[in-house]
Amino acid sequence: MLRNAFFLLFFLLTSCAREPLYHSQSYVFGTLVDISIYGETDERARQLADHIQQDFQSLHNRLHAWKPISTGKPSELQQINAAFSQANQTIKISPDLAAIIADATVLSEKSNGLFNPAIGHLISSWGFQRDEFAVVNINEAEIKNLIHAQPRMTDIVIDNNTVYSKNPTVKLDLGGYAKGYALDTAANYLRKQGVKNALINIGGNVIALGKHGDATWRVGIQHPRQPTAIATIDLADGWAVGTSGDYQRYFMLGDKRYCHIIDPRTGYPAQDTQSVTVLVPPQAINQSQAGVLSDVTSKPIFIETPKNRKLAAAAFGIDDFMVIDANAQIFVSKKLAGKIHWLIPNVQFKAID
Amino acid sequence: MSNLKPLIKSLQQYLRIGDWLVALISLACVIWLFQTLWSHEQAAKVQIRLGDKIYGTYSLNQQRDIHIHGSTGEAIISIANGQARFAQSPCKNQYCIHQGWLTLAGQVAVCLPNQIALELLGENKPYDSLNY
Repeated sequence: MLRNAFFLLFFLLTSCAREPLYHSQSYVFGTLVDISIYGETDERARQLADHIQQDFQSLHNRLHAWKPISTGKPSELQQINAAFSQANQTIKISPDLAAIIADATVLSEKSNGLFNPAIGHLISSWGFQRDEFAVVNINEAEIKNLIHAQPRMTDIVIDNNTVYSKNPTVKLDLGGYAKGYALDTAANYLRKQGVKNALINIGGNVIALGKHGDATWRVGIQHPRQPTAIATIDLADGWAVGTSGDYQRYFMLGDKRYCHIIDPRTGYPAQDTQSVTVLVPPQAINQSQAGVLSDVTSKPIFIETPKNRKLAAAAFGIDDFMVIDANAQIFVSKKLAGKIHWLIPNVQFKAID
Repeated sequence: MSNLKPLIKSLQQYLRIGDWLVALISLACVIWLFQTLWSHEQAAKVQIRLGDKIYGTYSLNQQRDIHIHGSTGEAIISIANGQARFAQSPCKNQYCIHQGWLTLAGQVAVCLPNQIALELLGENKPYDSLNY
């Protein structure tokens, strides 16, 4: 009898052995990068994570919209922006950056210009192109001029390995694209290395590879006004989730909150929304990948008027999304409502058909 | 596993219907408690990360201020009454301070400029990563 009990205890204890989960955090892209790798030795997982972090850092340096890499040495993107400011002046461009611009242009068109990485001048006018921004004096004249000048992605012309802009007010800011692109790059790298199970989180954009042991990877969705998660979503292999919020980069002027997500139609920060979360399935090759879509597609939904949010999601084929609006009302697409697990008891939400 | 059969047999011998009922109700109670408390577990510890390193893991069962030199200056993390928070930070926007007290396992507060992150730890992790 006692022996049986010991056997039982033994089996229970083995399940307590440390699981092969490696976890690291670092700061890149001005945000927190959180990498989990499951099923590899600690040593190999550390090497893989270090490699990814170095890749992220180099991408960050190349694509940085305002910070020079070192004193007096502008980033690749800044050099291109400098050429763009002289209309029709061509400059050499590396193939991967050309592909990024081409893809971002397609997505910008799909969003009817609500996702518009060409409005770098507007973002900088609002003071968000700074590590730590302070309250700005709103420069109404400048905003009006920039809206009138209509900087658009389609103003950019890529010709072989050169690029120019037909419009001198185009200034690229890939803040709504680069993190998602980095996710796809990292996921591809890990797959090539034969890694089956990993979860990569770049400041609110997460992509999953495989599983966490026997369980699906589980991601917590941050509450926009409380220091807690509001819900969790399970991420299957190849799926990505992205959240855009008004709580990570913003400033207050009186009672009014000005967040970093600018409506390209008005030139002013979007006011109708606290946060948008999108869940993206794996995509076919030769088109925008899940990581990029998790970053890009939340912005048009965030900016769009309440009645057009569903259209903004549908433009990208996004079925799973959640909106928390300026009045803290929660809207969940019908499809996502079946997949989300609420952490807050008795949560009230409206389903969007 | 065949060793379990006599065990079950002897249980059947000694247990009456009332005993089974008690066992059943207890089980239902455990399941109910599990479901209600699982997602909102009180945390036992706070893990502080500085840059890419774990700075330390501290019990929440104490009253203590922890002074940390981050990449931009000194921050103070307060622990009291089973909670933890950023109490002082050199950052401009003070988002980390505005997060307030963290109480539940899985809750996170991050100071990006100073590269300090707090995460509350409990018995179980409610999620693998937080989409903030």
